[in-house]
Amino acid sequence: MSTARLQEVLICFGKQKQTDIATANSGMQMWRFGKLNAALANPKLNTENDAEEFGKGHEFPTQSFQTSWDVTGTLEKYLGAEIAAWAMAFGLGKVVKSGAAPNFTYTCTPLMPANGDAAELPYFSFVEQIRPGAGVVLDRMAVGCVIESWTITLGSGPGRTNSRIAIEFAGSGKFTEPSGVVVPAATLEKLLPSASLALSIDGVDYVSNKNIVSLETGWKNNVRMDAGFYPGSGFQTAGDATSGAIRGRLEFGNRQGTLRFTARFESGSMELTKLKNQTTGTAVLSLTYDANNSLEITWHKVSFATAEVGETDGIVTVAVECLPMFDATNGIVSAVAKCGVDSICQ
Amino acid sequence: MNDFVWMSPPFGQGEPVQVEAKPEVLVPLMVAGYSQCEPPASREEVTEDVHG
Repeated sequence: MSTARLQEVLICFGKQKQTDIATANSGMQMWRFGKLNAALANPKLNTENDAEEFGKGHEFPTQSFQTSWDVTGTLEKYLGAEIAAWAMAFGLGKVVKSGAAPNFTYTCTPLMPANGDAAELPYFSFVEQIRPGAGVVLDRMAVGCVIESWTITLGSGPGRTNSRIAIEFAGSGKFTEPSGVVVPAATLEKLLPSASLALSIDGVDYVSNKNIVSLETGWKNNVRMDAGFYPGSGFQTAGDATSGAIRGRLEFGNRQGTLRFTARFESGSMELTKLKNQTTGTAVLSLTYDANNSLEITWHKVSFATAEVGETDGIVTVAVECLPMFDATNGIVSAVAKCGVDSICQ
Repeated sequence: MNDFVWMSPPFGQGEPVQVEAKPEVLVPLMVAGYSQCEPPASREEVTEDVHG
């Protein structure tokens, strides 16, 4: 027997959304990427036992029960136009697709239930395989997954590691083993490097003044995991009440946006003044590969929640935590992601 | 050439509208509950063949 090494792991997931939480993506609807993190999206079986029940004559368990299933995972990647478009579309939930090859544009905003949008996020299937087929080590598909959060980090320095995205996802608990999916060819990615950043926050262009040191921005859906189990939500094996319950819905909870950055602090820097005055403005960051592949994220109204002067590599800097707020016209955040791939989240 | 998309009003109330696919146009509509939709079917009247 040959040892299986994790470099062999293949992952693919729904480029298109599932029709509903229980209907898996077909292989044709999926795309394949590499990733940076080793963690696998292991299905976790939750069990209970009868230790607490009276009538047995002792305190020890005599039976155990399969009660429910969880699937969670994390995808860490260098930031590219394709994965950025996918994360924005599935993570925020509302998408308008425009354009044509090679310039598809995905305009994404958070879902607004108060204005008629769903509270359920778009679902996708996630496949992990190591040597599928006769010598299979691992071959499974988590069905009905949603993005719990995405975080983009940009740093100073020359390498790809200075532009990354981390995506957390959670599933309904339903999984298929073997997956039955033939993993497609790897997606050709267009990197969105840190050096391509354009950044304007509250009227200050932090790139043209050469002051930006690092930046992190993110979105968290705080998915109501337990609310996915409701009377009738279903079982891992349909019709088998002993196979463990799965979720029948995944709704977002109280969502949160984050934007924090570190910039050089010099004479005339206004961060502390803006903190004191609670000035509000927009924050726009964009990263570009070329005219057809880019990402622009706009926080439509931010103020500074904290601003602390410190140092980075001996240079005086200010670390700012922004408070993204809801703008009556444009909402809290929007993302415009361009890439050459059609049908993302469609 | 400008790109246009069709957007249906929130809660399915009202007729779809065709708008320019620019963020400054789309984002306020999306926040207000408009969703992308297929172009409405042609309203051209079909007259049955009365000869025969």
